Amino acid sequence: MKKLLILLTLSGLMCPPACLAKVYIDISSPSSRRLPILVPKFKNTGSEPDREDIASKTPQIIADDLDFSGFFKIIEESALSSSTIDGLTSDRIKWDELAIVGAEAIITGGFSASAGMVTFELRAFDAVQGKFLIGKKYEAKREDYRLIAHRFANEVFRAFTGADGIFETKLVYVKTVGSNKELCLSDYDGGNYKQLTSYGSLSLNPAWARDGKRIAFTSYKDGNPNLYVMDIARGTTRLVSKKKGVNITPDWAPDNQRIALTLNLSNGNSEIYVLHEQSGSLERMTNDFATDVSPSWSPDGRWIAFVSDRAGSPQIYSLEVATGRVRRLTYEGSYNTSPAWSPRGDKIAYAGLMGGRYQIFITTPDGQIHQQITSKEGNNEDPAWSPDGRFLAFCSDRSGQKEIYIMRSDGSGQKKITFGKGNKAEPAWSPF
Amino acid sequence: MKQYAKLFVVFCCALLLVVTGTACSKKQVKQEAPPAAAVPEESDLNAKEFVEPSNIDPALAKIFKDIYFDFDRFNLKPEAKKTLDGIAEWLKSNSSYRVLIEGHCDERGTNEYNLALGERRANSAKSYLIGLGIAEKRISTISYGEEKPQCTEHNEGCWSKNRRGHFLLARK
Repeated sequence: MKKLLILLTLSGLMCPPACLAKVYIDISSPSSRRLPILVPKFKNTGSEPDREDIASKTPQIIADDLDFSGFFKIIEESALSSSTIDGLTSDRIKWDELAIVGAEAIITGGFSASAGMVTFELRAFDAVQGKFLIGKKYEAKREDYRLIAHRFANEVFRAFTGADGIFETKLVYVKTVGSNKELCLSDYDGGNYKQLTSYGSLSLNPAWARDGKRIAFTSYKDGNPNLYVMDIARGTTRLVSKKKGVNITPDWAPDNQRIALTLNLSNGNSEIYVLHEQSGSLERMTNDFATDVSPSWSPDGRWIAFVSDRAGSPQIYSLEVATGRVRRLTYEGSYNTSPAWSPRGDKIAYAGLMGGRYQIFITTPDGQIHQQITSKEGNNEDPAWSPDGRFLAFCSDRSGQKEIYIMRSDGSGQKKITFGKGNKAEPAWSPF
Repeated sequence: MKQYAKLFVVFCCALLLVVTGTACSKKQVKQEAPPAAAVPEESDLNAKEFVEPSNIDPALAKIFKDIYFDFDRFNLKPEAKKTLDGIAEWLKSNSSYRVLIEGHCDERGTNEYNLALGERRANSAKSYLIGLGIAEKRISTISYGEEKPQCTEHNEGCWSKNRRGHFLLARK
């Protein structure tokens, strides 16, 4: 268990610039202790009433972000007396009282609203030393308080861990609407939900471009299951592949210019190809008489994990792009699919049939170590990594219909983030 | 090394096919039909022009019956072949019609894998019809994977109905 590294770089004099930032939480440690933090209700410092309850909702989102990260423990505000925090700055906080409730960090927030806009003043302190760490002032539209909360949570995460937080990232997933499937976009925690397509057709297999601006997906909107690329901000969609048969399961290469996908040879079986998005040229990656599907690039672009039934049942394989050399990664069980290569490169998540249900597993790229991550009732499928490789989104039918969940990559902190009518599946997690 | 050799043979065959238009050696024929072309063709499928055969003539429902598959399989069972024999016969005497074969799967397993499996099921039926003398250009395929179940209960009775090939017709 790691202690809080308070005095690590206090002098700063002997220290190169890179280490000037203190690391309070060593997130590379597998068993790092959760830092106890207080995120009290924000203060309305303006004269306009707080109709949306920004005062409670914004700190709650920050607290949820930090709690989900697994590196913070949220201390309940009710543990404090009302006079402990009397303002936003360090001179208005009674530090000795914070010590009694065990808080080692605290966030203070104030806001004032006017004419549809809100100004936020947010600070984070080291509560052990009573020391100011970071402060930010944001001006935003009233309805954008979620964005401000996520943005400041990222600042806090960086201040305490030195790493980038994922709290401003997005998810795209597929939602059943009547007998159709449409693509939806939301914050990583399910907030700011928005339907991206209204094709009245089947749209499936969304995959983020590495720039976070575009999504490749399959849609039947023009009849055949073709591959399209949507520019999210512009709302434009471009056809990129309409080969006979399936044009499915896209995954963008790390160079952001090529897309691995599954195509079908006429009268034959599906194979993995690499499509150059701009030129439209194709490179064939697999060549056998079995079904090959669901490619997932390694972050260095040297390997592609995929599913093949070449040994009689669907199993996970990986192929070396330069040589075409293929190695089998899964041997246990009769049905292993949906490989997702971690952005850190060290793990591959997949869904496997175990005891009659689908569960999420993680293996090393050499296939040597396999670990079952989910074990809850219901089927748990479609794993997708967060861009920092610490979290997974997946879909589960444990509540009676398929919903999107997020969790830490050790299976802890499982949280349902979609609600309402219609199955949701196939989450894809955006880059930073 | 063997794999490379195999790859090389397939590559050479594809090259031969392109350059001379001749088919290549017998060796691979034993396994399964080898890929017809190295590069997939563009789709000109307009699925919307196809209709249920029973909309053309109610009597056609008896000929264009769904064919069923075993779990994670795409081989044609005797019953399916019988149905396809009847369909081929009808297509031969109604040469102004084209057929669209839909490949479907049950809900179990991954929808991505099932999309590929549905395609293979449709292709099994297509290959069989071609073998019975139906021109390839009269046969289109589309896979819906597990996306369009016939039956929505979560049991084998229902799943077995969903693992199907379904047939639609369009006039030329």
